[in-house]
Amino acid sequence: MAQAGKGKLNYRCPSCFMRDLDIDMFYQKETDEFYCIRCQYRGNEKDVLEKNEMVRFRYGAMAKRYTKFDFD
Amino acid sequence: MDKFIVNIIHRPEMVPEYAEKVTGHGKEEDIGRKALLTESLDIFKFQQEMAHKYGLKTTIQMTYASLFNEEAVQIAKEHHEKYGDEIALSLLGLPCTEFREKYKTKDFCIWMFSMEDKKSIVDDVFGKFYDIFGFYPESTGSYYMDADLINYVKEAYPSVKCAVATCWEEGPKAYHTCNNSWYTFMDGGPWNPWIPSKQNSHAPAANEAEDSGIVAIPHLSRDLLACYDGNGSNFGTHPQNVLRGMIYDTETWDYPYLYNLIDQYRDLEKYNNGYAYNMMFVGPGWLNKMGRWEAPYELLAKSYEDGMKYYGELKEQGKLTDMTMAEFADYYRQKKTYTEPECALWRDILYGSDKQLFWYCDPYMRACVNMDQGGAIVDLRPYAAKLEWPVGIGTKHVTDASYPFLIQEKYRAGYFTHYAGEGTVRSAKLKYNGEEVDLCLCRTKAHFSQEGNTRVLTLDPVDIEFYDLTVKLQSVISFEEGSSDIKIERRILEMSNPEAQVEINEYMVACYGTTEYSEDMTGITLSAKKGEEVQSLSYEYKCRDIEMAGADEVRAIVPQIETAVSMRSNAETAVGYVKEGYAFSPMFTLGYTAQVKDKEVIATWLKLEKAN
Repeated sequence: MAQAGKGKLNYRCPSCFMRDLDIDMFYQKETDEFYCIRCQYRGNEKDVLEKNEMVRFRYGAMAKRYTKFDFD
Repeated sequence: MDKFIVNIIHRPEMVPEYAEKVTGHGKEEDIGRKALLTESLDIFKFQQEMAHKYGLKTTIQMTYASLFNEEAVQIAKEHHEKYGDEIALSLLGLPCTEFREKYKTKDFCIWMFSMEDKKSIVDDVFGKFYDIFGFYPESTGSYYMDADLINYVKEAYPSVKCAVATCWEEGPKAYHTCNNSWYTFMDGGPWNPWIPSKQNSHAPAANEAEDSGIVAIPHLSRDLLACYDGNGSNFGTHPQNVLRGMIYDTETWDYPYLYNLIDQYRDLEKYNNGYAYNMMFVGPGWLNKMGRWEAPYELLAKSYEDGMKYYGELKEQGKLTDMTMAEFADYYRQKKTYTEPECALWRDILYGSDKQLFWYCDPYMRACVNMDQGGAIVDLRPYAAKLEWPVGIGTKHVTDASYPFLIQEKYRAGYFTHYAGEGTVRSAKLKYNGEEVDLCLCRTKAHFSQEGNTRVLTLDPVDIEFYDLTVKLQSVISFEEGSSDIKIERRILEMSNPEAQVEINEYMVACYGTTEYSEDMTGITLSAKKGEEVQSLSYEYKCRDIEMAGADEVRAIVPQIETAVSMRSNAETAVGYVKEGYAFSPMFTLGYTAQVKDKEVIATWLKLEKAN
């Protein structure tokens, strides 16, 4: 296989993102997959996007608009 | 009158950070590439256009590279005339062909150069600015500006009155997020504007003699809970940082979190005599035409416009005042006294936990109280020491500009949950018939009030349940302006058995450092004092302790950071103690135990002083 490059967008590894690591992934055109150079994650674009939705689980109030900031 | 002020800052950075590596992947590095320069200027123009579209004035921080670009200079002049934008000078954005040829280095962070180079670069950049514009700037900045740098700038260019001088909590957490490739650390500073001292730019000046002569502003207004726990670069008033954190709906491209963050900062006026502040400073690299990570350019641009639009709407509603940096410095000098603290009772607005923190900052300390841990102090920076800490090549701290902590729950365990050792925290334990409960496990909420010069945090009462006794306890934490003290009162509101007697152990486990890794504790002195009687030990990792009934004070002197920290108690039955740590757990403990009964109130004070 030839050397890997960057995809059309610069996806980060969703698995590393979950441990607060921003790691750019590389794209292997022959296998149409992104892979992480630090951990063992690899997946196509569809899988990356699905996993990116999963990482948002921690943001329980992401969609909420707050109007009160104290507990008085 | 309540005032919410925003500083919007743009810089024409001809070689945006990140952009060269991202847009140029697979090409040899060439910071003079025409495509890169054109794109950079386009981004700056877009940012300016968005601010003006929504009726906001900006501070244009010219970079060194942009001073060689006629179009960038022309835009700055025009926008100054037309919109009242301030033309200022950034010490960011140094890299360009001219800079590389002269300094023969790829370093670009002004605070990490040698002092000789710092002076030379400042002179070059300020000189070039004067040549172009015919005056010296009133505002400058970088991601961090160390005290020696600020002092030099102020001495050589006295027109400077405002500077961007720190990124809040950009220390080991940011380093880890960048896969340990980011060698610059600047934890431990204020989150909102302050007057830096001449000795250490993190530590606010206590008086005119310590005043560095500038008003410092942070780079961005950061989430005081999310940034403390996680990567600082995801949770600030920087729309593209919010995208970096993936805090948006991928279907609708909505990001209510950005507005919640701005609104919570607005809400802080309640704790700061009617004043609140926001800063937005997005470097052009974040609006890369090729997109940034998962976000296409269209989303990057939308989020920037939405940010400006929201500030613009607030302005239209009379809820926001836009100022240039120099205007803000004048306002701040008029509004604030040296000893007036900055306070923030902060709520989780992202994770849905309802956790609550209280941040306090004055010339003597920065402290964080965690209501989710019963009002424990989980971060403590002893600004009273005004630690001189030169930074950059040729100093002991080439990359580490952080102000050292005595307590830091994320780096040094906090309330301890593992099988051996201790973590840094200031809390209390209650003991009864062989059972022990730490207040760290009593989740509660706090209410802020101000009584004269004292800021008071009154916590909702908590129940401590023993096998056959329930104790209702309330904690009240007071910060008296200018005292360098934190007073913690424990009020026993009710006991299920009014005749019972409970032991309370007020304690502080501490160490010192700027990172997760332990420093040498040798030479720290621990002592207990009663009248003329003093017992002390010098730290040798031997797990020793001293106990003294009726002690006036227990104290630790940490010569490595020129800090003395002490505790005293008003409880009649109080027994003071100090504990040395050991190699596996290199901490020390100061504390008091006392017997308490129903309806009793006892107080303990924690004091910070300079020791040299």
